[in-house]
Amino acid sequence: MKTLTLQALAARPPLRHNIGDMPRTLARDALGLGLRTRHYRELGEPWPELDYFEIISENFLSEAEGPRYHLDRVRERYPIVLHGVGLNLLGPEPPSTDYLDRVAALAELVDAPFVTDHLCWTGSHGLSHHDLLPVPYVPELVELAAARARHVQQHLGRPFGLENLSSYVEFVASTMTEWDFYAQVVERAGCGFMLDINNIYVSSQNHRFSPADYLARIDLSRVLQVHIAGHTREPNGTIIDTHDHPVADAVWQLYGNAFRQQPFPTLLEWDDHIPPLAEAVAELRRAEVVRV
Amino acid sequence: MSWPTSPEWLLDLQARFSGLLRTPLDRSTTSLRADTSAYDPALVDAAQPSSTLSSAERLAVYHRQYWFRLFTVLQGLYPLTTRLLGYWRLNGFAAHHLVERPPRGFDIDAIGDDFAMSLAEQLPENGTVVTDSGLRVEAAAVLDAAHVDAAFHRVTRAPRSEPLRPGPADAARFNDSCLRLSAGVALVQERWPLAELRMSFVERQGDGQISLPERWPTPRHWLLARHASKLGLLALEPREAELLGLLQLLPLEQALGRLEAAASPAERESLPERAQAWLARSVRLGVWAGFAKVQK
Repeated sequence: MKTLTLQALAARPPLRHNIGDMPRTLARDALGLGLRTRHYRELGEPWPELDYFEIISENFLSEAEGPRYHLDRVRERYPIVLHGVGLNLLGPEPPSTDYLDRVAALAELVDAPFVTDHLCWTGSHGLSHHDLLPVPYVPELVELAAARARHVQQHLGRPFGLENLSSYVEFVASTMTEWDFYAQVVERAGCGFMLDINNIYVSSQNHRFSPADYLARIDLSRVLQVHIAGHTREPNGTIIDTHDHPVADAVWQLYGNAFRQQPFPTLLEWDDHIPPLAEAVAELRRAEVVRV
Repeated sequence: MSWPTSPEWLLDLQARFSGLLRTPLDRSTTSLRADTSAYDPALVDAAQPSSTLSSAERLAVYHRQYWFRLFTVLQGLYPLTTRLLGYWRLNGFAAHHLVERPPRGFDIDAIGDDFAMSLAEQLPENGTVVTDSGLRVEAAAVLDAAHVDAAFHRVTRAPRSEPLRPGPADAARFNDSCLRLSAGVALVQERWPLAELRMSFVERQGDGQISLPERWPTPRHWLLARHASKLGLLALEPREAELLGLLQLLPLEQALGRLEAAASPAERESLPERAQAWLARSVRLGVWAGFAKVQK
């Protein structure tokens, strides 16, 4: 198996779009947008000023012609990274080889600089719940998650990043902080952080911890990508990770503080009440102001 | 490298959590509600309360998310049915469907694959259904709407395939084989004007409830086809639709014979020429994927 490390990735020259036959990778200050169906009809001349797109892997794993048609148009012009929601890393059953093979083939097709998914479970006993569900944070599961993430990275043959959740419940059985659990899994797996700063903020409000403490534990040199997004506060005080608003000021502030310590590619997710593409790009470009 | 197995305590926790998620939301009031009083006590005990929410209330966030996410996906895949019934009624049928056939696999859109079949099981055979706005619509019309939505769903998800372009060497195969429809094509029959209405939702979905248009005097037929990312509807003459249906079951000569036998004397004279034109058009449009063995 070929060895792909974060260091090797970082050593490649930063590239923008129209990259021809060059290996695709991202500059550490790259700005990207999550590609959604809503954007398809808006994509064309003039193509948006973006460094890359991120796709939801599962939307392109089947043989359906429609999504592949749009993917082909985008991948001719931009680097693409893969973000999964169905790996079920901490689920009861191993992912099917077919699933991992499909993700690997898709990554190969778009020459993805990296692939990411979540540190969570998404289904059990043969059923898929299509949600990102938390586990108790205990040392026993650090080893389990790290071994499984190593397996995935090896199967994919390219850098793999794990994303932290936004969560709405904690477990009595937890003996570690979420950030300690997350950091230990990533470090022991030898993979990367897919760090979602909005998720840190959401969980910090729901579980009353300091987001600065969380960020202080993350080795930013291992961050493959940062996600930013909007959220919604419910009447009962719970913050839900809805991705249906502009990024909150508090999240921008955390983002700016982290970026100034060490740059990383930045990706805006917008999944509901999606604005016109130009508006989403303008929201993403606020990052350039915030992080100075 | 192996995939390490989960500890028993985690499997137990996940089985309980999974059971909670899949319990339908309570519909006994005018809004969908997570009935926290019925939650598994062992799971509630495993969750930590916050300063403002009980353990059960925190679990309820996930419970609601599970159902609303799946309802939203089904509503998006079945917009015609949804707007005919209204969201509340649609969600009721959807909940039953999702309990019977909970999602499996990575593709969330797959929950729409059997929904028309599930509706057929749930709807009264010759009765009516009360919509959210209090109107009574024929169950048959709701089912027609679901079948139209299902055709759009199927065609949209179809893989790219090479159409059959028969040449002289294929002549013999027409004598002993039937034809297989391309995955990116569907034949739609409607008793109410629904297919064109559904097509209008492709560009502008909207969300208001619609009234059932007046029933056609006789059923109408459409060819729904996809090219790259575009969908198109083509009106078919009844005999043309019949021929395309027969060609999926019988070799060409038998299909033509069956068509002729069903035609009136006035139709028969021009039928060979018209059938030839319909067959040529179907090939030109890429309706067929290939030959298939005739089922006895």
